[in-house]
Amino acid sequence: MRIALLLSAGRHRVSGRPAPVPVELQALRLAADLAQTHGGQSGGTVTGLHAGPEIGPLTDALGHGLGHLVHLRMPAEADPAPALTAALEAGGYDLILAGRSGQGGEDTGLLPYTLARALGRPILADAAALAPGAEAGTLSVEQALGRGARRRLVVRLPALVTVHPAAPAPLPFAFAGLRRGQVEMREAAPSAPAPHEVEERPYRPRPKLIAKAAAGASAAERLKAATVAASGGGKLLVDPAPEEAAREILAHLRALGLIAPR
Amino acid sequence: MSRPRKDPRMERAAHLVPGGARPRFDLAATPATSGRLRRDPRAEERLALVPGTLRRRLDRSQRAPAVSVVAVAAPVEAEAAPRRVVIAEPAFLVALVPDAPGGRLSAHDRQLFGAARLLADAGGGAVLALVDGSSEELGAAGADRVLALPITGYDPEAKALALNAALAALDLRHVLFPESAEGGDLARRLAALSGEPFFAGAESLSPKAVTRAARGRRVEQRRAPPRLLSLAIDAIAPHAGSLHEALPVEFAFPETTGGALLSAEFIPADPARVSLAEADFVVSAGNGVSDLDTFRMLVAALGGTPGASRMLCDAGLMPRAAQVGASGTVLEARGYFALGIAGAPQHLQGVARCEHVIAVNTDLHAAMIERAGLAIVADAQKVMPALLRLLGEEGAP
Repeated sequence: MRIALLLSAGRHRVSGRPAPVPVELQALRLAADLAQTHGGQSGGTVTGLHAGPEIGPLTDALGHGLGHLVHLRMPAEADPAPALTAALEAGGYDLILAGRSGQGGEDTGLLPYTLARALGRPILADAAALAPGAEAGTLSVEQALGRGARRRLVVRLPALVTVHPAAPAPLPFAFAGLRRGQVEMREAAPSAPAPHEVEERPYRPRPKLIAKAAAGASAAERLKAATVAASGGGKLLVDPAPEEAAREILAHLRALGLIAPR
Repeated sequence: MSRPRKDPRMERAAHLVPGGARPRFDLAATPATSGRLRRDPRAEERLALVPGTLRRRLDRSQRAPAVSVVAVAAPVEAEAAPRRVVIAEPAFLVALVPDAPGGRLSAHDRQLFGAARLLADAGGGAVLALVDGSSEELGAAGADRVLALPITGYDPEAKALALNAALAALDLRHVLFPESAEGGDLARRLAALSGEPFFAGAESLSPKAVTRAARGRRVEQRRAPPRLLSLAIDAIAPHAGSLHEALPVEFAFPETTGGALLSAEFIPADPARVSLAEADFVVSAGNGVSDLDTFRMLVAALGGTPGASRMLCDAGLMPRAAQVGASGTVLEARGYFALGIAGAPQHLQGVARCEHVIAVNTDLHAAMIERAGLAIVADAQKVMPALLRLLGEEGAP
């Protein structure tokens, strides 16, 4: 099984220095586990792909279990989609993994979808676990939904899958892996720069909605919505018998729908 | 609030006594009509006065509002049925695709309606809701037209194809999506399919400009609203105040063939294994709990996710991953059941976003008791076995 992993030029969440994107390292772990268990006779291979001017600290991915990293060198403002499409088509990969949204560009998370469209492959979002499907040539994907729920999807390969942060943690970094891994640099064919029609300014955080009252509500309603939720203002039982307390708690939990009704 | 403007010359002229050689004014006479009625602050205060207290206490919130005619007139206006708005000939259409999990609009979906109304009302357009199944609440949420998508089960690719057909045929000026897992996925599928410009995760929106964070939240991008937009949560207030007609629209969707998806199966969350950050209902133990075996049995019986305070994690009685609070996990749970936790500020930070809190603690003055919706001042060590017994009795027959 040949697996490709798209790596983007991330930045560290706190320091802002160039660093691999955590969710892409999680995708690497999923890919490495899948290649190991479902390699077949030939054994699976995982190839990392990065399109950009510099490879930088993305070589760290080699230490996290990646064997081979391909760097498609291109100017920073160029559109990475044509070069990546060409490389992915030439590689003949069964499975292409990407993070939920790449960094370094506009952070829209659109690139996996345009690549899937260009390659004519199905795409599935938010994978938290991958396993080989029951039939040959299929893949079972556990999609992360809210509140810990999952959806198990079976898709026919080849396919493109994006990975959710709920996936297992990345493999630990090993310096020997970094020494062992190979980085291959290819010059990407020149492409037209991506059309740029947005105005850019330094980021300014916008106030979020706090009160849950609707826009047409009166000031009193808005004040109520902002203050009532924070203060409990609920029921208080002082020194009840344990049985009475238990009955109250269960009735309250049932009324809220937190436990199944009797 | 707008008040009629005061015109002193007019007022003076109203007091003028006609006749006589010199102008004469009778200032004691009440002026005819000024439009504004007088407030009587003393009468308002008398009504707000709480009787039966030693100290003079005013309670302006609980009782019927003031005496003045203006204040009486205002609630009558507010209680009237919401204004019904009919847009017969829309200049353009603004479409939106709510997630509507389980057929009910989420808070994020309602904010999406607010954004769509903002764009539509600026130029006499109408809001078209593209939904899976019909719903009663769309008119009140702000939908002028409703188009049902021919989708059954989980098939985002077929949904994107149907949306693409509608986008091309119905001349939609904007299509709005929530930037949630499902809505964001659908928006990007449609953007890749149609090749239209797409603006992901808009954080502010007006008919002239939308903005979003980019390049690791260091840059703000700004442009005129493009055709495809996804809206971040808590950015725009939901629509309120007027009722719209939610008229069903007919549209012939093209037939879609089966996609690459072979099967889709929903797996509900297993509360024992789910991480605290994702958990829906957390049962948490603090220093007031010493019998942790009973606690674990109770957590399993209630179907919750186990949590703990810093005290227990530091003592090694619970794993560090179970710690709730500022240095542990900040919960997003709907319900939080605190057993023997007093509620240090750092712990309460972790519980701040929980909707319902239940606390059992021996200290009446504990912060957790104050925070809880149901607070029980009792020994958690005695309440836990009672709860287990009660659950066992209920499960037995």
